[in-house]
Parts: sequence; structure tokens; C-alpha cells
Amino acid sequence: MNSNFWNNAFWHFLTLQLFKERSKHLTVAIISILLLFLLSSVLFISSSIRFSLEETLEAQPDFVISRLQGGVAVPTPLSWSDELLNIYGITKVTPRVYGRYFFQPKEKSFLIVGVDFFEEQSQKNLEKLIKNIDLKSFLKDPQMLVGKGVKEYLAENFYKNEYKFLTPKGKFETIKIFKTLPKETQLIANDMIIMPIDLARNVLGYSEDEVTNISFNVPNPDEWNQINDKISALHYDLQIINKKEVKKSYQTLYNYKGGFFLILFLIVLMTFSLILYQRYNMVYSSEKRHIGLLRALGWSINDVLKLKFMETLIVIISSYIIGVFMAYVFVFILDAPLLKNIFLGGQNLQNSVEFIPVIDMATLSSIFLLYALPFITAVLIPVWRVSVSNPKEAML
Amino acid sequence: MIKIENLYKTFYQEKNESNILININLHIKKGELIILKGISGSGKTTLLSLIAGLDRPSQGKILIENDPISKLPDLFASQLRAKKIGMIFQHFNLFEHLSVNENVTIPLIPSTLSMKEIYKKVDKALELANITHKKSLLASRLSGGEKQRTAIARALVANPDIILCDEPTANLDKENSLLFIQTIERLHNFGKTIVIATHDPLFEDLKLKNRIIPMVNGQIVP
Amino acid sequence: MNEILLSNQVIIYLLSESTLFFLLAIAFIVSIRILLQWDFESFNPIQFTLEKQSYLVTTITLFVFAMKFFLLIYFVFTIDALALLIPGAMCGAGVITANEYGTPLLVLKLSLLALLILWFYMHAYDNRTKNHLYFKQKSWLFLVIFFFIVLELFLDFQYFLAIDTHLPVSCCSALFGQLEGANPLPFGLNISLLLILFYLLYFLVMLTLNLNYKLLYIFSNILFLYIAYYSVVYFFGTYIYQLPTHKCPFCMLQSDYFYVGYFLWASLFLGTFIGISDALSSLWVKKTNLKHQKTVSYLLSLFVLLCTVYIAVYYLNNGVLL
Repeated sequence: MNSNFWNNAFWHFLTLQLFKERSKHLTVAIISILLLFLLSSVLFISSSIRFSLEETLEAQPDFVISRLQGGVAVPTPLSWSDELLNIYGITKVTPRVYGRYFFQPKEKSFLIVGVDFFEEQSQKNLEKLIKNIDLKSFLKDPQMLVGKGVKEYLAENFYKNEYKFLTPKGKFETIKIFKTLPKETQLIANDMIIMPIDLARNVLGYSEDEVTNISFNVPNPDEWNQINDKISALHYDLQIINKKEVKKSYQTLYNYKGGFFLILFLIVLMTFSLILYQRYNMVYSSEKRHIGLLRALGWSINDVLKLKFMETLIVIISSYIIGVFMAYVFVFILDAPLLKNIFLGGQNLQNSVEFIPVIDMATLSSIFLLYALPFITAVLIPVWRVSVSNPKEAML
Repeated sequence: MIKIENLYKTFYQEKNESNILININLHIKKGELIILKGISGSGKTTLLSLIAGLDRPSQGKILIENDPISKLPDLFASQLRAKKIGMIFQHFNLFEHLSVNENVTIPLIPSTLSMKEIYKKVDKALELANITHKKSLLASRLSGGEKQRTAIARALVANPDIILCDEPTANLDKENSLLFIQTIERLHNFGKTIVIATHDPLFEDLKLKNRIIPMVNGQIVP
Repeated sequence: MNEILLSNQVIIYLLSESTLFFLLAIAFIVSIRILLQWDFESFNPIQFTLEKQSYLVTTITLFVFAMKFFLLIYFVFTIDALALLIPGAMCGAGVITANEYGTPLLVLKLSLLALLILWFYMHAYDNRTKNHLYFKQKSWLFLVIFFFIVLELFLDFQYFLAIDTHLPVSCCSALFGQLEGANPLPFGLNISLLLILFYLLYFLVMLTLNLNYKLLYIFSNILFLYIAYYSVVYFFGTYIYQLPTHKCPFCMLQSDYFYVGYFLWASLFLGTFIGISDALSSLWVKKTNLKHQKTVSYLLSLFVLLCTVYIAVYYLNNGVLL
């Protein structure tokens, strides 16, 4: 093997050849870039969502227990938290009040989250959400913090600064909007309303000794299984969910959506490969004379193969870089209009999110594999066919 | 230098056999000038392509300095071709979109030479062929004679011992043909072994010592 | 439907494996035909066609060869990422042992890589002969490789299909941890003897490599591979994790440890496979290649150096050993 084959003359010649056939390569490149753009955008969105989700979930408590009646969640007795405190290995027991409030007549709903602002634990959990809040002035009057989607929706319906909640007891509870929640939390907090726990109780109709559920942490991961069993045994109507399962189910959901898309994409990819195969077969047949000439001038089949492969590789790599870059701009700078709805559908209010840039080797190499491998496969036989073409053709 | 023994070449096309070359036996010594004379279809082009290793015979042996070029794997055959054989084609066969300089560089690209050495060789070849003044010009802009000279430069760039020419003057006017013959004379004086396949009568009356080998219907006429 | 199968990386991985298989199947069919009719001395136009087709086989094989390296790393990466979805798994170890196909699959992949490297050597030597002297042997090796690839593809799908995300698996501490009374080390060795053997074998390998005692080299390198695996898992690894009870070959591949696992295992396996292939093929064609021997020396020395450095650093930082 000649090590000096990769000298300037080779690249110079290669560039000139590429330029000569540029129209043919360009068509392939443009289709590639479009496909890569689509693929990368989808993968970027899903990894960004996963990242945001993981970040949010990390702050969540490890376990949540609630009361079931006939398989349906009902208010959980506050007394259960005392029982939890007695179990060794459990920390940060936090009773929580939250639920959905339906805004009639439009049939939209908000998520109301009650927070005991005096409890250190709640503060920690919702740290991100309630940063920069002046608690004193907030707690002075009945006030709430709302997510961006809530604010916009209320404004559309002419509620600018406050809202009159209709409680299950038939009374009205007027609560003022204090502030909007910060934008990094949009993914989960878009249709969320945070208010003091007692206000939430009123709005949602819980009595003083009831809560929606109780959360707690178990710092030692080896004890999770034990504690899980112990607590399930406390009451027959007690349901216990842990963070890992939540994480897993979210992951599965996004896997499901992403996987579905990918399989559809595969069909596109196959068509693309077939087109490539046919196209390059054509392109190369017209080049047979030139290749024959190169061989007549002393190029070996290996040399020609190298030339053709490098040609292909240049097309692949440049399309890859351009396509991925465009996707980056589209997703992380323009926030992926249209495309994001596929991923964020299924929630009540229109989600206006900003994607946090998340690029990792796994995603980049996945994109590259999915694109480059079928491409080279489709092109391999045409490349071979032209490389072994008869040099005698040059004589004719 | 070039030994051809019992060479046969047969083409098979849909159960029809056509014998292009029949029992060619030829011994070409180093530094000889050989004229393969014959009308088109007599097999001289095929013989040239076999000598260059561009095609494989159906039977027989071709030895280039004792290397059986017809039976070498492509890696070795192409090396042999690159180092020892220079070819000049009837239709010049230049890359039209490349300049003269680039065209002449092509045979040296797969070699192990450094860029400096390559450029040196290219310049030398351009000088020999008398086309240095046009080296940056695109091949498509050259006249017939200039194209031929580029082809000559390309054939000479690797300093091969053997030069094979296939109807070199078929697309040239008389003036350029004579210039071509002058170049051949120069190359002959350098000691190159030259084989020219042609039916141009200009070659019958050369001042140089040469051997004319007439071919008819794929056979050498004794 | 198995959720694992819908994870992006698994889909892409399986697709890539299938594509490579498809290519290799083409090469296989062509190869059979070539093997049946190959006769380098003949002037038959069929022979010339076969020679052209052999270029297709070698081009495909070389491409698949390059991709297999990349895919192995991708596979390991994917396995690591899947640890999230399988209850009980903290690293790749749990995922691989999620069903009975995982470990054979991994071993098969490594063996395949070794065979491909051997094929590469045979191909290089065959190309240098003027009459394709080793062509038939090279082709037979290719057939063996193809058989392995069929097996690999089968195991690939079986493995991923059979992963049950509801079934908890053992984490590495259960898999590799010291059970009461049972000694996981080979030949009944203890740690100190294992280490002595490790370094001794390393020196033996270097010696036989540079002095060209091919057979002895091959034997000692294989033994070294075997001992090195146990040394890394049961000794050197604990210094990487800085925990005497953490024994696992997979956790060191994670970002927490700066992916040092990749360098460690890559240098060990590559060094071994290249070295053995080089030795085997040169025994057979009676030539040596100094440059490759140097590469092998560097790789294996890098491996040993990495292992030793972790101990040294720990000792320097803490004054004691684990």
C-alpha cells in the first residue's frame, strides 16, 4: 500500500472530479441533508426532552404513597405520614395537596399544586419553581404562582390579575396572580398553578386531615425493595409508587413515540437507499471510460476504489455536518415549530417550550450510523462495478 | 524486453467466436522501434492492449522483462504498467476538464513519490514533449497537435522503458504528424522501446532503424 | 411489544447489524462461486470475472470489518444506556445477564473481531503474492466468519427480544462479588498470586514477541488475556472505583470514570488479537512484520500501564492500598 497516496495531487484530483460531476452529487447531497435534518431534529428533540425530564425527576421524591378505593385514588389520611416517620431509613416525609381544576365552559384544566411554604422540604422540592419569590409579600394575601400557559390562557379569557375559583363546596375563592413560573420549568409547569397548601385544600375540596398523597425519600438505594414491601403492608388500601418506575415509564413513553417514528423513517431510508443505488449505477456507467483510462495509466483497482470511496465519504460527511447543524439551529434556536407537537401532544394546554441544547455522542453516532451505513451499502456495489471496469474501454 | 509466445485472443459473443489474434510470436529487444502495420481490424490495437496488460489473452504468454504481465494480479500488473509502460491513444484520451499539468500528473498520483518529486517529473515530461508553455491551459482548449503532445508528456512522466502508441497520427494533420515522428526519433535516441500500431504510410519511410511487422486478420505476416 | 426494542439505539443497532449481514450475505454467495471455480493459472474468461468478483468480496469484508469495530463500541454504549430501563441494573453487567443470550453474544462479538483481524492479515499477505497463493485459505476463513455472523445476528435479535423489563436482574455486586467460600479466581489463585502471574505473563509476552518465539508468544498472550480479565475485574477495577467491594468489568465504561474502561479493554483486546493474528499468519507464510509487533507492544504496555497507574495514584493519594 502506498502511504503517499494521500498526497496533495490525489485530493486535488478528487476535488476536480467531484466538481465536474457536481450536479449529480448535489442532488444526492440535498436529499441527504433533508433526511438528516428531519432525523436529527427528531432525535435532538427527544434527547432534550429526556434530559429536561431527568433533571426534573431527579428533584422529585423517591416514593409517593396514596390511598386507593376500588382502584381509584381518593384523599389520603394525613395520619399516614406519622406511620411513615416511624420507619427507619425514611427521610423527608411530605404530605402533598394537588389536583386538576377544570375551567368551564372551555373544558380546559390546570394542575393546582399546594405547597406548605413553611416546610423546608417543600421548599427544596420546588426550589426551581419558587426561586426569586418574595415569600413574605406572596403569603400576605391569597395569591398564586402560575405557569406561562396558564397566564396566557387566563389573559385570553379576560382574567388578567386574578381568578375566581369555584370550590366543590359551592363557594368562590378569589386568588391573585403573584408571578409567572420561570421558563426552564416550562416542560412540567406550563399548566401548573402553585398556591399555599390551605388555599389548595379549599379550591380542591380537601378537609384539614386529608392530603392527596405523601412523598418521602429513601437515601440508601439498597433498602428500596425492603421499604417498598414494608409500607405496602401497612394498609390494604395503600398504593406506593417509586421514582424509578416513573422515570422508566416516561422513558418508555418517549421510546415508544421515538421508536414509532424511527420505524417509519426506516421505510423512507430504504427508498432512499434504492434510489441511491440506481442513481450511482447510472452515474458510474457514464464514468466507465474515465476509470478505464485511469487504469490504463497505471492505477490499480485498489487506487480507483480509494478514489470512489473518498468521493462518497466526502458527500456523506458534508451532508451529515450540514444536516445536523441545520437541525441544531431548528431545534435549539428556533424551538422546532410544528415538529415539537408530535412529542408534546397529549397535554391540555398548548405547550410553549424552549428546548435545552443536549448533544451527546450517542445521539450523534446514532444519526451517523443510521445515515452513513445504508448510504455506503447502497453505493458499494456500483463503486465496485465501476472500479473493476475494463481498461480496454479506454482504447476504443 | 518484450516476449510474446503463442498468443491467442478470442472473443466470445453469444456463442459466436471471433479470433482476433492467432498464434502471435514476437520478440522485441530493448530499444527497438516496432511498427505494427495493418488496416483496422487486423488486431494490432488488441495486441497493444495485451502487451500493456489492459486485457487478458485467451492463450499464450506475454513477458515484460520476464514479468508475465498477462498473468499477474491487478496490484502487480498495474505497478508494472505504471513504471514501465507509457501509452499514447488514438483519440488522445485526455481529461478535458483538467489542465495540461493536471493531466500529466495523473499517472504519478498512486505512486510513493513526494509532491516535490512529482512536480519535478511533470515539468521534465512537459519539456520533453514541448508543451510547457501551455501547462495551465484546459485540455479542452488545445489544438489536436497540442493534445497529442500532452498525451506524449503524460506517457513519459513516469519515465517508462516502453512506449506503446495506438494510431498516434490518425487525428493529426501532416505537420503535426511529422512533429510526432520527430518526437519518436528523440525517444528512440533515449533508448526507449517503442511499439507503434498504425496504418499511416508516413511511418513506412522512417530514417531510424525500425522493424515493420505487418498484421493481417490477427496474424503476423512473415 | 418489548419496550427495549423501541429504544432508538437498539433499533439503529439492529438495523446496522442486519445491513452488514445483508452485505456479507452477498459476499458469501459470490465467495462460494469463486471457491468452486477458482483457478488462478487458467486463461478462461470466467477466471478473470472471478478475480474481479473477489474484489467485491474483499471490499465488502473490509467495510464490514471497519463497521464491526464501531458497532461493538456502539453496542456496549447501548447496553450501558439500557441499564436505566431494567430494574436492578446499575451498569451493563446487569443488562448483559438479563437473559441467557447476552454473555454468549458478547463473547461471540469479541471472537468475531479476532477472526476479522486474522482475515485482514491473510488478505494482506495474499495480495502481496504474485499468484494469490493464500486465496483459498482466506476464502475458507471468510466462510467461517460468515457462519459466526449468522450466529451473531441470530443472538442479537434473540437477546434484545428476550429482555424482560419487568424482571429484575442482579447488579454487578451480586454477579462479581465474593460469595461466601467460593473463589471466583481461576486455578484457585489468590489476589497476590494472580497479580504476580499477571506481571510475569506480561513480561513473558513482551519477551517472546520481540524475540520472535511465535508459538510461545501466542500461548502466553492467550493466557495473559485470561489472567488479565480476572486481574482487572477483581483487582485493578477496585482501584478505578476506589472501593474494595466494587468488582465489575462494565462500570468502568461509564462517564463517572471518564470512560477509562474503553481504553483499558480496547488496548488489551486489540493488542492481543493483532498480536496473535500477526504471529499466526507469519508462522504460516514465514514472514515477520516489525511495525505490527511494535504496535502490539505499545498496546499491551498501555494496558498494563493504565492498570498500574490507578494503583500508584491511589497509593500516592492515600498512603495505603485497598
